[in-house]
Amino acid sequence: MVISRTEAASALTDIEQTAGRSRVLKSYQIAGPILMVWGVVWAIGYSAMGLLPAERWGMIWLALDVAGAVATVLLSRRPKAAGKAGAGWRIGVGVLAIMAFFVASYAVFQPTTIAPAIVYPGLVTGLVYVGVGIVFMPRFLWIGAAVFAASLIGYFLFQPWLAFWMAAVGGGGLLLGGLWLRRA
Amino acid sequence: MAQLDELIHQPLRLKIMAALHAEPGGEPVEFSRLKAVTQATDGNLGSHLTTLEKAGYVEIAKDFVGKKPRTRVAMTLAGRKAFRRHVDYLREVVEGVSGD
Repeated sequence: MVISRTEAASALTDIEQTAGRSRVLKSYQIAGPILMVWGVVWAIGYSAMGLLPAERWGMIWLALDVAGAVATVLLSRRPKAAGKAGAGWRIGVGVLAIMAFFVASYAVFQPTTIAPAIVYPGLVTGLVYVGVGIVFMPRFLWIGAAVFAASLIGYFLFQPWLAFWMAAVGGGGLLLGGLWLRRA
Repeated sequence: MAQLDELIHQPLRLKIMAALHAEPGGEPVEFSRLKAVTQATDGNLGSHLTTLEKAGYVEIAKDFVGKKPRTRVAMTLAGRKAFRRHVDYLREVVEGVSGD
């Protein structure tokens, strides 16, 4: 059996598309539980901001962020490749870079009221997820857009309850988004 | 030497082999994910997996996670070699080394 050049090219395209789809679905499987972890982190952190005095927020967020970063690195390691270099360290460095960006932004801009400081992580996270969605995993585009929009809606319409809004809608949204990715 | 593998060249089997080959470290893939990747029906996918298994290109393992049955498919070493030979052949045809 001999095949034509067109048929061979079409088969190679099929192979590339299938491999690409496989990689994206695998990435969703890994990213889903990580997103769910951050949903819980947001829910606890923002609830604490709504319930506790401001001087305790820093320590609570520090503990939650460290827990979230450690869970992210552990969950992004491939099960059979434990001990081998994988994507875990890259994602860990990415999480640290985003945290450093938040700290630097607050240090430079020094928000004088609390509402912008509460909503800012939601806007940046939404933007980062939209970027991930455009470049690599399309479902992140919708999750990022939802987080971004929910943060803005909370800021303009529900400012007196913004911390609880971010806990319920932001944290809950990330949890649901994680479930959606996991089921892909 | 690169050569056409008629067994792999069938469109759905080609997708199955491509999906399994893309797995890092040759990790097994669950049937449900393979179905999502190849966009095939249960029956069609099962039938072509059996063909590939008989040829020694894939291994199918069935077990239970709790009470839920699970089927996982992995590419064998022979399957990996055959797939690479087939892809090399396709590239040669596209580049005009062989074929028409």
